[in-house]
Amino acid sequence: MTPFENASDRSVVDLAGVAAERALEDGDYSRAEITSVHVGNALSEGLGTQAGLANALSSALGVEGVRSDRIENTSATGASAVHRGVEAVASGQSDVALVVGVEKMSVGETADVTDSIRQLVHPREYEQGLTLPSFAGLAANVYLDRYDAPHDALAAVAEKNHRNAVDNPVAQFQKRISVDDVLESPVIADPLRLYDCCPMTDGAAALVLSREEGVQVTSIASATGTHAVAARPDPLAIESVRLAGERTFDGVDLERDDVDVACIHDAFTVLELLELEELGFYDAGTAWEATLDGKTRLDGELPVNPGGGLKARGHPLGATGISQLIELVWQLRGDLPDQRRVPDAEVGFAINVAGFGNNSVCTLLES
Amino acid sequence: MTDSNDTAEFDSIPVDHAFVCADCGHRWYYTRRRCPDCGGTDVSTYELAVGELIAWTENRVTPADIRSPNRLGLARFGEVQLIAQLSDDEVSVGDQVAFEGAYHLRHGSETPKPRLTPLE
Repeated sequence: MTPFENASDRSVVDLAGVAAERALEDGDYSRAEITSVHVGNALSEGLGTQAGLANALSSALGVEGVRSDRIENTSATGASAVHRGVEAVASGQSDVALVVGVEKMSVGETADVTDSIRQLVHPREYEQGLTLPSFAGLAANVYLDRYDAPHDALAAVAEKNHRNAVDNPVAQFQKRISVDDVLESPVIADPLRLYDCCPMTDGAAALVLSREEGVQVTSIASATGTHAVAARPDPLAIESVRLAGERTFDGVDLERDDVDVACIHDAFTVLELLELEELGFYDAGTAWEATLDGKTRLDGELPVNPGGGLKARGHPLGATGISQLIELVWQLRGDLPDQRRVPDAEVGFAINVAGFGNNSVCTLLES
Repeated sequence: MTDSNDTAEFDSIPVDHAFVCADCGHRWYYTRRRCPDCGGTDVSTYELAVGELIAWTENRVTPADIRSPNRLGLARFGEVQLIAQLSDDEVSVGDQVAFEGAYHLRHGSETPKPRLTPLE
């Protein structure tokens, strides 16, 4: 993958190409072995950059003639591209699938990028000016009130994920922040503040899928939820997360307790807590205490977002879900220095979420 | 870019109206052509009366055509739940609210529409 940063001097095809070449080199594959290319990208046309990205990238890589397509699933675009690649290999339609996710968010003004992203909401939500942070602010208020949790519990998620990113050379923010830094940062959607929210990011991530030995994709599953967030009977329930999680564990010989390391879609701090509970890693209303107790830190019982998560590694929409899986691969292979490594990790779990729970993709990996 | 969300088919439905299925009686707010419960297509609208405020937030970073800050409320009207702009009146979770007044929800919008307002 490329470093996640501001890469305004590079084209979206160039970013994707660099990530693809690094993935091929890592797996010792040649371009000639590729039989399909699956490109994840959410905003390219919306921000006025390269259209027909799958074709442009395949040509840039010099793999014309292979099957190539582009997948869009808003914030879960990356994991959906992996899902497509897994299906291509599992069905026998592709022997070596190259999955590449890329986003170049610096190409537009912040207001334009935000507006492009908020097009994903229901028209009746759009009319009211709803943005993703506003959904998160409402959910955070309900969570803190229902479980009598302090705002510190949300800030602790950001503090942990920034701490994890310090030694991650591909992370956008390789610096620690304190709980007070979070609590004193500007309000975005009360009670959420700037440091409760993930940044805008440029970057690309890629991986190669085949039947060869290596880290195994044990299971991958997707599920949709309601389009309109308020249509969910319980404001804290995210059905797509729950369903995708259940499907991922269905039929495999693994339980939640078997997971050694998890990458959770922390676009907003409150989402990390809600997802951990919906997925069954913690009971409803208890993930905040687990976080404050350090149970989700790198040396805790369930290390969550060891690479910094969306909060600190960054969130280039099309690349995020793939970067989560790359982080898990590094952890499961033991590629990382001790201070950044979950010791003896054998099972990894990731969730990538579209919108505020419109669609979720969960993946289980084993070494 | 702000005009690209396809709202045209919904513009004629008042913001304070929800939908009810003639076949099963199920009610919902977020427009669907079929009843999300039974799949029925005999759908009519009705005016929302009094709801309860479940949560609210003040969004400080808003799109260019939306007021800043944008106060938003999550409210329940019977079995229907929605998020809508709040009036500038003081509110608390648990308050009774109703759609009242006439406001431009987006800068430049032609038709004034009501906001969620706490009842005295």
